[in-house]
Amino acid sequence: MNNTWGDMAQYDPVTWNWVIAVYLFMAGLSAGSVLIGIGMRWYSRDKQTESPILKAAALIGPVAISLGLACLVFDLTKPFHFWLILVNYNFQSVMAIGVAALLAYSPLGIAYALIVLKDDLPKWKLGFLSGIADLLMPFRKIIEVLLFILAIGVGAYTGFLISAMNAYPMLNTAVLPALFLVSGLSAGAAANLVVALLMFNTDTHSPEVAKMHRIELPVIIAEMMFLVMLFSALYFTGGSAATALASLNTGIWASVFWIGVVGIGFAIPLLAMLLPSSARHSKALMLTVACCSLTGVLALRHFIVYAGQSYIS
Amino acid sequence: MNKRYVMVHDENKCIGCQACNIACRSENNVPEGVTRLQVRVEGPFGEAPHLHFKYNRVSCQQCENAPCVSVCPTGAAYIDENGLVSIHNDKCVGCQYCVAACPYKVRFINPITKAADKCNFCKDTRLARGEQPACVTACPTDALYFGDANDSQSEVALLLNTKITYQEKTHLGTKPRVYRIPTKRGGIES
Ligand code: SF4
Ligand code: SF4
Ligand code: SF4
Repeated sequence: MNNTWGDMAQYDPVTWNWVIAVYLFMAGLSAGSVLIGIGMRWYSRDKQTESPILKAAALIGPVAISLGLACLVFDLTKPFHFWLILVNYNFQSVMAIGVAALLAYSPLGIAYALIVLKDDLPKWKLGFLSGIADLLMPFRKIIEVLLFILAIGVGAYTGFLISAMNAYPMLNTAVLPALFLVSGLSAGAAANLVVALLMFNTDTHSPEVAKMHRIELPVIIAEMMFLVMLFSALYFTGGSAATALASLNTGIWASVFWIGVVGIGFAIPLLAMLLPSSARHSKALMLTVACCSLTGVLALRHFIVYAGQSYIS
Repeated sequence: MNKRYVMVHDENKCIGCQACNIACRSENNVPEGVTRLQVRVEGPFGEAPHLHFKYNRVSCQQCENAPCVSVCPTGAAYIDENGLVSIHNDKCVGCQYCVAACPYKVRFINPITKAADKCNFCKDTRLARGEQPACVTACPTDALYFGDANDSQSEVALLLNTKITYQEKTHLGTKPRVYRIPTKRGGIES
Protein backbone atom coordinates (compact mmCIF):
# COMPACT_ATOMS: atom_id res chain seq x y z
CA MET A 1 0.00 0.00 0.00
CA ASN A 2 1.68 3.19 -1.09
CA ASN A 3 -1.13 5.69 -0.97
CA THR A 4 -2.56 7.62 1.93
CA TRP A 5 -6.15 6.49 1.60
CA GLY A 6 -5.83 2.75 2.20
CA ASP A 7 -6.56 -0.63 0.72
CA MET A 8 -7.99 -0.61 -2.81
CA ALA A 9 -8.91 -4.31 -2.98
CA GLN A 10 -12.63 -3.74 -2.46
CA TYR A 11 -12.77 -1.35 -5.42
CA ASP A 12 -11.96 -4.02 -8.01
CA PRO A 13 -14.70 -3.47 -10.59
CA VAL A 14 -14.95 -7.20 -11.32
CA THR A 15 -17.38 -8.26 -8.61
CA TRP A 16 -18.89 -11.33 -10.18
CA ASN A 17 -16.38 -14.01 -11.12
CA TRP A 18 -16.16 -17.34 -12.93
CA VAL A 19 -18.67 -18.99 -10.61
CA ILE A 20 -21.31 -16.63 -11.95
CA ALA A 21 -20.11 -17.22 -15.51
CA VAL A 22 -20.55 -20.97 -14.98
CA TYR A 23 -24.00 -20.36 -13.50
CA LEU A 24 -25.01 -18.26 -16.51
CA PHE A 25 -23.70 -21.03 -18.77
CA MET A 26 -25.59 -23.77 -16.93
CA ALA A 27 -28.85 -21.81 -16.90
CA GLY A 28 -28.55 -21.08 -20.63
CA LEU A 29 -27.62 -24.70 -21.35
CA SER A 30 -30.56 -26.02 -19.36
CA ALA A 31 -33.04 -23.67 -21.03
CA GLY A 32 -31.62 -24.19 -24.52
CA SER A 33 -31.63 -27.95 -24.26
CA VAL A 34 -35.24 -28.01 -23.02
CA LEU A 35 -36.37 -25.60 -25.74
CA ILE A 36 -34.80 -27.74 -28.46
CA GLY A 37 -36.05 -31.02 -27.00
CA ILE A 38 -39.66 -29.85 -26.65
CA GLY A 39 -39.60 -27.83 -29.86
CA MET A 40 -38.45 -30.86 -31.84
CA ARG A 41 -41.14 -33.01 -30.30
CA TRP A 42 -43.78 -30.52 -31.38
CA TYR A 43 -42.41 -30.53 -34.91
CA SER A 44 -42.12 -34.28 -35.18
CA ARG A 45 -44.95 -36.42 -36.49
CA ASP A 46 -44.19 -39.28 -34.15
CA LYS A 47 -45.42 -38.25 -30.73
CA GLN A 48 -45.62 -41.79 -29.32
CA THR A 49 -41.97 -42.73 -28.90
CA GLU A 50 -39.68 -40.61 -26.78
CA SER A 51 -36.80 -39.67 -29.06
CA PRO A 52 -33.23 -39.87 -27.74
CA ILE A 53 -32.90 -36.11 -28.21
CA LEU A 54 -35.98 -35.45 -26.09
CA LYS A 55 -34.73 -37.85 -23.44
CA ALA A 56 -31.38 -36.08 -23.41
CA ALA A 57 -33.12 -32.71 -23.05
CA ALA A 58 -35.37 -33.97 -20.27
CA LEU A 59 -32.28 -35.11 -18.40
CA ILE A 60 -30.04 -32.11 -19.07
CA GLY A 61 -32.72 -29.54 -18.19
CA PRO A 62 -32.99 -30.26 -14.46
CA VAL A 63 -29.40 -31.49 -14.00
CA ALA A 64 -27.82 -28.38 -15.55
CA ILE A 65 -30.04 -25.96 -13.68
CA SER A 66 -29.37 -27.74 -10.38
CA LEU A 67 -25.61 -27.55 -10.93
CA GLY A 68 -26.00 -23.89 -11.87
CA LEU A 69 -28.04 -23.10 -8.77
CA ALA A 70 -25.47 -24.91 -6.63
CA CYS A 71 -22.84 -22.51 -8.06
CA LEU A 72 -25.07 -19.56 -7.30
CA VAL A 73 -25.71 -20.55 -3.69
CA PHE A 74 -22.06 -21.43 -3.14
CA ASP A 75 -21.12 -17.97 -4.37
CA LEU A 76 -23.31 -16.10 -1.85
CA THR A 77 -21.41 -14.64 1.07
CA LYS A 78 -24.16 -16.07 3.29
CA PRO A 79 -24.89 -19.41 1.57
CA PHE A 80 -26.85 -20.74 4.55
CA HIS A 81 -29.22 -17.82 4.30
CA PHE A 82 -30.10 -18.54 0.69
CA TRP A 83 -33.70 -19.21 1.74
CA LEU A 84 -34.07 -15.48 2.43
CA ILE A 85 -34.07 -15.01 -1.32
CA LEU A 86 -36.99 -17.43 -1.60
CA VAL A 87 -39.22 -15.60 0.87
CA ASN A 88 -38.42 -11.93 0.21
CA TYR A 89 -39.15 -10.62 -3.24
CA ASN A 90 -38.35 -7.22 -4.66
CA PHE A 91 -39.99 -7.46 -8.05
CA GLN A 92 -38.05 -4.46 -9.31
CA SER A 93 -35.03 -6.75 -9.24
CA VAL A 94 -34.32 -8.98 -12.23
CA MET A 95 -32.76 -11.47 -9.84
CA ALA A 96 -35.97 -11.75 -7.83
CA ILE A 97 -37.98 -12.34 -11.01
CA GLY A 98 -35.42 -14.95 -12.07
CA VAL A 99 -35.63 -16.72 -8.72
CA ALA A 100 -39.42 -16.84 -9.02
CA ALA A 101 -39.14 -18.28 -12.54
CA LEU A 102 -36.56 -20.85 -11.42
CA LEU A 103 -38.76 -21.82 -8.51
CA ALA A 104 -41.36 -22.99 -11.03
CA TYR A 105 -38.93 -24.10 -13.75
CA SER A 106 -36.83 -26.51 -11.69
CA PRO A 107 -39.62 -28.72 -10.27
CA LEU A 108 -41.43 -28.70 -13.62
CA GLY A 109 -38.20 -29.79 -15.28
CA ILE A 110 -37.90 -32.69 -12.87
CA ALA A 111 -41.55 -33.63 -13.41
CA TYR A 112 -41.05 -33.56 -17.15
CA ALA A 113 -37.92 -35.69 -16.87
CA LEU A 114 -39.88 -38.33 -14.93
CA ILE A 115 -42.55 -38.38 -17.64
CA VAL A 116 -40.18 -38.63 -20.59
CA LEU A 117 -37.76 -41.05 -18.96
CA LYS A 118 -40.46 -43.24 -17.42
CA ASP A 119 -39.36 -46.37 -19.27
CA ASP A 120 -35.71 -45.79 -18.44
CA LEU A 121 -36.24 -45.35 -14.71
CA PRO A 122 -36.09 -49.08 -13.81
CA LYS A 123 -32.80 -49.38 -15.72
CA TRP A 124 -31.27 -46.75 -13.44
CA LYS A 125 -32.68 -48.41 -10.32
CA LEU A 126 -35.14 -45.55 -10.00
CA GLY A 127 -38.17 -47.75 -10.59
CA PHE A 128 -39.76 -46.46 -7.40
CA LEU A 129 -40.31 -43.13 -9.18
CA SER A 130 -42.43 -44.73 -11.90
CA GLY A 131 -45.53 -44.31 -9.76
CA ILE A 132 -45.01 -40.53 -9.66
CA ALA A 133 -44.39 -40.53 -13.40
CA ASP A 134 -47.74 -42.30 -13.94
CA LEU A 135 -49.51 -39.72 -11.80
CA LEU A 136 -47.94 -36.89 -13.80
CA MET A 137 -48.66 -38.42 -17.21
CA PRO A 138 -52.15 -36.88 -17.66
CA PHE A 139 -50.62 -33.41 -17.20
CA ARG A 140 -47.94 -33.91 -19.81
CA LYS A 141 -49.22 -31.32 -22.26
CA ILE A 142 -49.63 -28.54 -19.72
CA ILE A 143 -46.27 -29.29 -18.10
CA GLU A 144 -44.63 -29.26 -21.51
CA VAL A 145 -46.13 -25.91 -22.49
CA LEU A 146 -45.33 -24.26 -19.15
CA LEU A 147 -41.81 -25.62 -19.17
CA PHE A 148 -41.24 -24.33 -22.67
CA ILE A 149 -42.41 -20.81 -21.76
CA LEU A 150 -40.40 -20.79 -18.55
CA ALA A 151 -37.33 -22.02 -20.44
CA ILE A 152 -37.52 -18.96 -22.71
CA GLY A 153 -37.72 -16.86 -19.56
CA VAL A 154 -34.78 -18.58 -17.89
CA GLY A 155 -32.63 -18.38 -21.02
CA ALA A 156 -33.25 -14.69 -21.52
CA TYR A 157 -33.28 -13.70 -17.84
CA THR A 158 -29.60 -14.51 -17.41
CA GLY A 159 -28.94 -11.82 -20.01
CA PHE A 160 -31.33 -9.35 -18.36
CA LEU A 161 -29.65 -10.07 -15.01
CA ILE A 162 -26.38 -8.54 -16.08
CA SER A 163 -27.75 -6.03 -18.57
CA ALA A 164 -29.74 -4.34 -15.79
CA MET A 165 -26.55 -2.73 -14.46
CA ASN A 166 -26.13 0.64 -16.13
CA ALA A 167 -22.63 1.07 -14.72
CA TYR A 168 -21.17 -1.25 -17.36
CA PRO A 169 -21.62 -0.17 -20.99
CA MET A 170 -20.83 -3.59 -22.44
CA LEU A 171 -23.44 -5.26 -20.27
CA ASN A 172 -26.06 -2.53 -20.31
CA THR A 173 -27.37 -3.29 -23.80
CA ALA A 174 -30.63 -4.73 -25.10
CA VAL A 175 -28.77 -7.28 -27.23
CA LEU A 176 -27.44 -9.26 -24.28
CA PRO A 177 -30.61 -11.22 -23.39
CA ALA A 178 -31.06 -12.20 -27.05
CA LEU A 179 -27.38 -13.17 -27.36
CA PHE A 180 -27.62 -15.29 -24.21
CA LEU A 181 -30.81 -16.96 -25.42
CA VAL A 182 -29.38 -18.00 -28.80
CA SER A 183 -26.03 -19.07 -27.39
CA GLY A 184 -27.98 -21.09 -24.84
CA LEU A 185 -29.73 -22.80 -27.77
CA SER A 186 -26.42 -23.63 -29.35
CA ALA A 187 -25.11 -25.08 -26.07
CA GLY A 188 -28.38 -26.95 -25.57
CA ALA A 189 -28.26 -28.51 -29.03
CA ALA A 190 -24.67 -29.62 -28.52
CA ALA A 191 -25.34 -31.09 -25.10
CA ASN A 192 -28.47 -32.88 -26.34
CA LEU A 193 -26.39 -34.48 -29.06
CA VAL A 194 -23.63 -35.59 -26.70
CA VAL A 195 -26.05 -37.14 -24.23
CA ALA A 196 -28.21 -38.71 -26.96
CA LEU A 197 -25.16 -40.29 -28.58
CA LEU A 198 -23.49 -41.48 -25.41
CA MET A 199 -26.39 -42.39 -23.15
CA PHE A 200 -29.31 -43.15 -25.40
CA ASN A 201 -27.38 -44.74 -28.28
CA THR A 202 -28.92 -42.63 -30.95
CA ASP A 203 -27.84 -43.29 -34.51
CA THR A 204 -25.69 -40.57 -36.08
CA HIS A 205 -27.80 -40.89 -39.24
CA SER A 206 -31.17 -40.61 -37.51
CA PRO A 207 -33.57 -37.99 -38.86
CA GLU A 208 -33.71 -36.42 -35.40
CA VAL A 209 -30.00 -35.73 -35.41
CA ALA A 210 -30.18 -34.43 -38.96
CA LYS A 211 -32.98 -32.09 -37.95
CA MET A 212 -31.00 -30.75 -35.04
CA HIS A 213 -28.05 -30.17 -37.32
CA ARG A 214 -30.20 -28.04 -39.55
CA ILE A 215 -30.71 -25.45 -36.82
CA GLU A 216 -27.01 -25.30 -36.04
CA LEU A 217 -26.10 -22.93 -38.85
CA PRO A 218 -28.88 -20.35 -38.25
CA VAL A 219 -28.10 -20.36 -34.53
CA ILE A 220 -24.39 -19.69 -35.10
CA ILE A 221 -25.22 -16.92 -37.58
CA ALA A 222 -27.64 -15.32 -35.12
CA GLU A 223 -25.00 -15.49 -32.37
CA MET A 224 -22.44 -13.79 -34.60
CA MET A 225 -24.95 -11.14 -35.60
CA PHE A 226 -25.79 -10.32 -32.00
CA LEU A 227 -22.09 -10.05 -31.18
CA VAL A 228 -21.57 -7.64 -34.06
CA MET A 229 -24.57 -5.64 -32.85
CA LEU A 230 -23.16 -5.57 -29.32
CA PHE A 231 -19.80 -4.24 -30.42
CA SER A 232 -21.13 -1.79 -32.98
CA ALA A 233 -23.51 -0.39 -30.35
CA LEU A 234 -20.49 0.25 -28.14
CA TYR A 235 -18.59 1.78 -31.03
CA PHE A 236 -21.37 4.18 -31.99
CA THR A 237 -22.14 5.15 -28.41
CA GLY A 238 -18.58 6.41 -28.15
CA GLY A 239 -17.07 7.78 -24.96
CA SER A 240 -16.52 5.34 -22.14
CA ALA A 241 -18.63 2.74 -23.95
CA ALA A 242 -16.24 2.69 -26.88
CA THR A 243 -13.26 2.13 -24.58
CA ALA A 244 -14.80 -1.24 -23.77
CA LEU A 245 -13.93 -2.30 -27.31
CA ALA A 246 -10.35 -2.56 -26.08
CA SER A 247 -11.41 -5.87 -24.58
CA LEU A 248 -11.22 -7.24 -28.13
CA ASN A 249 -7.53 -6.56 -28.61
CA THR A 250 -5.88 -6.38 -25.22
CA GLY A 251 -5.46 -8.73 -22.33
CA ILE A 252 -6.42 -12.25 -21.52
CA TRP A 253 -10.12 -11.73 -22.36
CA ALA A 254 -9.24 -10.83 -25.93
CA SER A 255 -7.60 -14.27 -26.28
CA VAL A 256 -10.59 -15.93 -24.65
CA PHE A 257 -12.82 -14.18 -27.17
CA TRP A 258 -10.82 -14.85 -30.34
CA ILE A 259 -9.61 -18.35 -29.48
CA GLY A 260 -12.47 -19.60 -27.34
CA VAL A 261 -15.57 -17.93 -28.73
CA VAL A 262 -14.64 -17.33 -32.36
CA GLY A 263 -12.06 -20.08 -33.05
CA ILE A 264 -13.39 -23.01 -31.07
CA GLY A 265 -17.03 -21.99 -30.80
CA PHE A 266 -17.74 -20.72 -34.33
CA ALA A 267 -14.92 -21.64 -36.73
CA ILE A 268 -14.56 -25.34 -35.94
CA PRO A 269 -18.30 -26.16 -36.14
CA LEU A 270 -18.63 -24.09 -39.34
CA LEU A 271 -15.62 -25.76 -40.96
CA ALA A 272 -16.93 -29.16 -39.94
CA MET A 273 -20.04 -28.47 -42.00
CA LEU A 274 -17.85 -28.36 -45.11
CA LEU A 275 -16.56 -31.90 -44.61
CA PRO A 276 -17.89 -34.72 -46.79
CA SER A 277 -21.06 -36.27 -45.45
CA SER A 278 -19.40 -39.56 -44.45
CA ALA A 279 -16.95 -37.77 -42.17
CA ARG A 280 -19.63 -35.47 -40.80
CA HIS A 281 -21.65 -38.43 -39.65
CA SER A 282 -18.92 -40.14 -37.71
CA LYS A 283 -19.69 -40.26 -34.03
CA ALA A 284 -16.25 -39.02 -33.05
CA LEU A 285 -16.52 -35.92 -35.19
CA MET A 286 -20.02 -35.15 -33.98
CA LEU A 287 -18.90 -35.38 -30.38
CA THR A 288 -15.85 -33.23 -31.04
CA VAL A 289 -17.85 -30.52 -32.74
CA ALA A 290 -20.46 -30.56 -29.97
CA CYS A 291 -17.76 -30.16 -27.34
CA CYS A 292 -16.32 -27.24 -29.31
CA SER A 293 -19.71 -25.51 -29.32
CA LEU A 294 -20.06 -26.03 -25.58
CA THR A 295 -16.55 -24.67 -24.98
CA GLY A 296 -17.35 -21.65 -27.14
CA VAL A 297 -20.49 -20.81 -25.18
CA LEU A 298 -18.69 -21.24 -21.86
CA ALA A 299 -15.92 -18.95 -23.13
CA LEU A 300 -18.52 -16.39 -24.24
CA ARG A 301 -20.06 -16.26 -20.76
CA HIS A 302 -16.62 -15.74 -19.21
CA PHE A 303 -15.71 -13.07 -21.72
CA ILE A 304 -18.94 -11.15 -21.13
CA VAL A 305 -18.75 -11.42 -17.34
CA TYR A 306 -15.11 -10.38 -17.03
CA ALA A 307 -14.61 -7.97 -19.92
CA GLY A 308 -18.07 -6.51 -19.31
CA GLN A 309 -17.28 -5.62 -15.71
CA SER A 310 -13.82 -4.31 -16.51
CA TYR A 311 -15.13 -1.17 -18.22
CA ILE A 312 -17.20 1.24 -16.16
CA SER A 313 -19.02 4.21 -17.58
CA MET B 1 -40.04 12.22 2.30
CA ASN B 2 -39.55 14.90 4.89
CA LYS B 3 -35.78 15.19 4.88
CA ARG B 4 -33.23 15.35 2.11
CA TYR B 5 -29.86 14.74 3.67
CA VAL B 6 -26.96 15.81 1.49
CA MET B 7 -23.24 16.14 1.92
CA VAL B 8 -21.07 18.81 0.35
CA HIS B 9 -17.34 18.31 -0.08
CA ASP B 10 -15.40 21.47 -0.72
CA GLU B 11 -12.43 20.31 -2.78
CA ASN B 12 -10.71 23.69 -2.26
CA LYS B 13 -10.51 23.21 1.47
CA CYS B 14 -9.69 19.50 1.43
CA ILE B 15 -6.06 18.58 2.03
CA GLY B 16 -6.40 14.82 1.63
CA CYS B 17 -5.40 14.11 5.23
CA GLN B 18 -7.77 11.12 5.65
CA ALA B 19 -8.94 12.29 9.10
CA CYS B 20 -12.49 11.66 7.84
CA ASN B 21 -11.56 8.18 6.69
CA ILE B 22 -10.13 7.28 10.11
CA ALA B 23 -12.99 8.87 12.06
CA CYS B 24 -15.45 6.87 9.95
CA ARG B 25 -13.63 3.62 10.72
CA SER B 26 -13.73 4.05 14.45
CA GLU B 27 -17.25 5.48 14.63
CA ASN B 28 -18.84 2.77 12.50
CA ASN B 29 -16.59 -0.17 13.46
CA VAL B 30 -15.48 -0.65 9.89
CA PRO B 31 -13.35 -3.81 9.84
CA GLU B 32 -9.75 -4.00 8.65
CA GLY B 33 -9.29 -4.23 4.88
CA VAL B 34 -12.54 -2.53 3.84
CA THR B 35 -13.62 1.09 3.99
CA ARG B 36 -16.70 3.27 3.69
CA LEU B 37 -14.77 6.34 2.71
CA GLN B 38 -11.55 7.25 0.97
CA VAL B 39 -10.32 10.63 -0.20
CA ARG B 40 -8.16 9.89 -3.19
CA VAL B 41 -5.52 12.43 -4.04
CA GLU B 42 -5.35 12.60 -7.83
CA GLY B 43 -2.90 14.57 -9.87
CA PRO B 44 -0.91 16.73 -9.98
CA PHE B 45 -2.68 18.59 -12.76
CA GLY B 46 -1.45 21.69 -14.59
CA GLU B 47 2.01 23.25 -15.03
CA ALA B 48 4.35 24.37 -12.26
CA PRO B 49 4.02 26.73 -10.43
CA HIS B 50 0.28 26.24 -10.79
CA LEU B 51 0.26 22.56 -9.97
CA HIS B 52 -2.82 21.38 -8.17
CA PHE B 53 -4.30 18.11 -6.95
CA LYS B 54 -7.82 16.85 -7.05
CA TYR B 55 -9.29 15.49 -3.83
CA ASN B 56 -11.84 12.90 -4.79
CA ARG B 57 -14.17 11.74 -2.03
CA VAL B 58 -15.07 8.11 -2.69
CA SER B 59 -18.04 7.03 -0.61
CA CYS B 60 -21.69 6.13 -1.09
CA GLN B 61 -23.36 8.92 -3.04
CA GLN B 62 -26.74 8.27 -1.39
CA CYS B 63 -28.38 8.16 -4.81
CA GLU B 64 -31.98 9.30 -4.96
CA ASN B 65 -32.43 6.83 -7.77
CA ALA B 66 -30.22 4.09 -6.36
CA PRO B 67 -29.24 1.18 -8.63
CA CYS B 68 -28.20 -0.86 -5.57
CA VAL B 69 -31.76 -0.70 -4.25
CA SER B 70 -33.55 -1.60 -7.46
CA VAL B 71 -31.38 -4.66 -8.14
CA CYS B 72 -31.48 -6.14 -4.63
CA PRO B 73 -33.56 -9.34 -4.87
CA THR B 74 -34.61 -9.48 -1.23
CA GLY B 75 -35.25 -5.83 -0.50
CA ALA B 76 -32.30 -5.85 1.93
CA ALA B 77 -31.13 -2.65 0.25
CA TYR B 78 -33.82 -0.04 0.81
CA ILE B 79 -34.50 3.66 1.12
CA ASP B 80 -35.64 4.70 4.57
CA GLU B 81 -38.25 7.28 5.54
CA ASN B 82 -35.65 10.06 5.38
CA GLY B 83 -34.42 8.99 1.99
CA LEU B 84 -31.22 7.38 3.25
CA VAL B 85 -30.09 4.38 1.24
CA SER B 86 -29.71 1.69 3.89
CA ILE B 87 -29.23 -2.06 4.30
CA HIS B 88 -31.13 -4.60 6.41
CA ASN B 89 -28.25 -6.88 7.44
CA ASP B 90 -30.55 -9.76 8.27
CA LYS B 91 -32.28 -9.74 4.89
CA CYS B 92 -29.05 -9.66 2.86
CA VAL B 93 -27.91 -12.98 1.36
CA GLY B 94 -24.67 -11.60 -0.01
CA CYS B 95 -25.44 -12.09 -3.70
CA GLN B 96 -23.30 -9.00 -4.44
CA TYR B 97 -25.72 -7.77 -7.09
CA CYS B 98 -25.70 -4.34 -5.42
CA VAL B 99 -21.91 -4.35 -5.21
CA ALA B 100 -21.73 -5.00 -8.94
CA ALA B 101 -24.52 -2.55 -9.80
CA CYS B 102 -23.20 0.48 -7.88
CA PRO B 103 -21.66 2.76 -10.52
CA TYR B 104 -19.47 4.40 -7.88
CA LYS B 105 -18.01 1.06 -6.69
CA VAL B 106 -18.45 2.04 -3.06
CA ARG B 107 -20.33 -1.00 -1.84
CA PHE B 108 -18.52 -3.89 -0.28
CA ILE B 109 -19.20 -7.06 1.66
CA ASN B 110 -18.44 -6.56 5.32
CA PRO B 111 -16.06 -9.40 6.25
CA ILE B 112 -17.58 -9.69 9.74
CA THR B 113 -21.31 -9.55 9.02
CA LYS B 114 -21.01 -10.99 5.48
CA ALA B 115 -23.70 -8.49 4.47
CA ALA B 116 -23.35 -5.61 2.03
CA ASP B 117 -22.10 -2.41 3.66
CA LYS B 118 -21.33 1.22 2.79
CA CYS B 119 -21.56 4.77 4.09
CA ASN B 120 -25.02 5.52 5.45
CA PHE B 121 -24.34 9.07 6.62
CA CYS B 122 -23.72 7.61 10.11
CA LYS B 123 -27.42 6.90 10.40
CA ASP B 124 -27.02 4.20 13.08
CA THR B 125 -24.40 6.00 15.07
CA ARG B 126 -23.99 9.74 15.18
CA LEU B 127 -27.11 10.73 13.27
CA ALA B 128 -29.17 8.58 15.64
CA ARG B 129 -27.80 10.67 18.48
CA GLY B 130 -28.60 13.91 16.73
CA GLU B 131 -24.98 14.62 15.85
CA GLN B 132 -23.20 15.37 12.60
CA PRO B 133 -21.52 12.45 10.79
CA ALA B 134 -18.08 11.48 12.06
CA CYS B 135 -16.26 12.50 8.89
CA VAL B 136 -17.79 15.98 9.00
CA THR B 137 -16.87 16.51 12.64
CA ALA B 138 -13.34 15.20 12.24
CA CYS B 139 -12.40 17.30 9.21
CA PRO B 140 -9.66 19.73 10.36
CA THR B 141 -10.29 22.22 7.53
CA ASP B 142 -14.11 22.15 7.61
CA ALA B 143 -14.23 20.90 4.05
CA LEU B 144 -17.36 18.84 4.71
CA TYR B 145 -20.92 20.02 5.24
CA PHE B 146 -23.91 17.89 6.03
CA GLY B 147 -27.57 18.63 6.54
CA ASP B 148 -31.13 18.66 5.29
CA ALA B 149 -31.31 20.41 1.94
CA ASN B 150 -35.10 20.62 2.23
CA ASP B 151 -34.62 23.10 5.05
CA SER B 152 -33.94 26.33 3.17
CA GLN B 153 -32.18 27.85 6.19
CA SER B 154 -29.68 25.00 6.58
CA GLU B 155 -26.01 25.51 5.88
CA VAL B 156 -26.06 23.00 3.03
CA ALA B 157 -29.07 24.63 1.35
CA LEU B 158 -27.33 28.02 1.47
CA LEU B 159 -24.14 26.48 0.10
CA LEU B 160 -25.91 24.76 -2.78
CA ASN B 161 -27.59 28.05 -3.60
CA THR B 162 -24.44 30.12 -3.62
CA LYS B 163 -21.60 27.87 -4.79
CA ILE B 164 -20.95 26.07 -8.03
CA THR B 165 -21.17 22.36 -7.31
CA TYR B 166 -21.10 19.18 -9.31
CA GLN B 167 -22.04 15.55 -8.71
CA GLU B 168 -20.39 12.44 -10.10
CA LYS B 169 -21.74 10.41 -13.03
CA THR B 170 -25.03 12.29 -13.28
CA HIS B 171 -25.44 10.93 -16.80
CA LEU B 172 -26.43 7.59 -15.28
CA GLY B 173 -29.55 9.13 -13.76
CA THR B 174 -28.66 8.14 -10.20
CA LYS B 175 -29.16 11.63 -8.71
CA PRO B 176 -26.32 11.49 -6.18
CA ARG B 177 -26.64 13.47 -2.94
CA VAL B 178 -22.96 14.08 -2.45
CA TYR B 179 -22.13 17.48 -3.96
CA ARG B 180 -18.62 18.66 -4.69
CA ILE B 181 -17.29 22.19 -4.87
CA PRO B 182 -14.58 22.04 -7.55
CA THR B 183 -11.10 23.40 -7.03
CA LYS B 184 -10.96 26.91 -8.46
CA ARG B 185 -7.77 26.18 -10.31
CA GLY B 186 -8.96 22.97 -11.88
CA GLY B 187 -11.65 22.18 -14.34
CA ILE B 188 -14.66 20.18 -13.37
CA GLU B 189 -14.05 16.49 -13.78
CA SER B 190 -16.63 13.93 -12.96
S1 SF4 C 1 -23.53 5.24 -4.45
FE1 SF4 C 1 -23.75 3.08 -4.85
S2 SF4 C 1 -24.20 2.20 -2.85
FE2 SF4 C 1 -24.56 4.40 -2.68
S3 SF4 C 1 -26.75 4.67 -3.12
FE3 SF4 C 1 -25.66 4.97 -5.03
S4 SF4 C 1 -25.67 2.94 -5.98
FE4 SF4 C 1 -26.17 2.64 -3.85
S1 SF4 D 1 -25.74 -8.37 -1.48
FE1 SF4 D 1 -27.41 -8.13 -0.02
S2 SF4 D 1 -28.03 -6.00 -0.16
FE2 SF4 D 1 -26.79 -6.47 -1.96
S3 SF4 D 1 -28.24 -7.04 -3.54
FE3 SF4 D 1 -27.60 -8.94 -2.58
S4 SF4 D 1 -29.10 -9.28 -0.95
FE4 SF4 D 1 -29.31 -7.15 -1.59
S1 SF4 E 1 -21.07 9.93 6.87
FE1 SF4 E 1 -20.42 8.53 8.45
S2 SF4 E 1 -20.44 6.54 7.42
FE2 SF4 E 1 -20.43 8.07 5.82
S3 SF4 E 1 -18.27 8.42 5.33
FE3 SF4 E 1 -18.85 9.96 6.86
S4 SF4 E 1 -18.28 9.00 8.80
FE4 SF4 E 1 -18.36 7.35 7.29
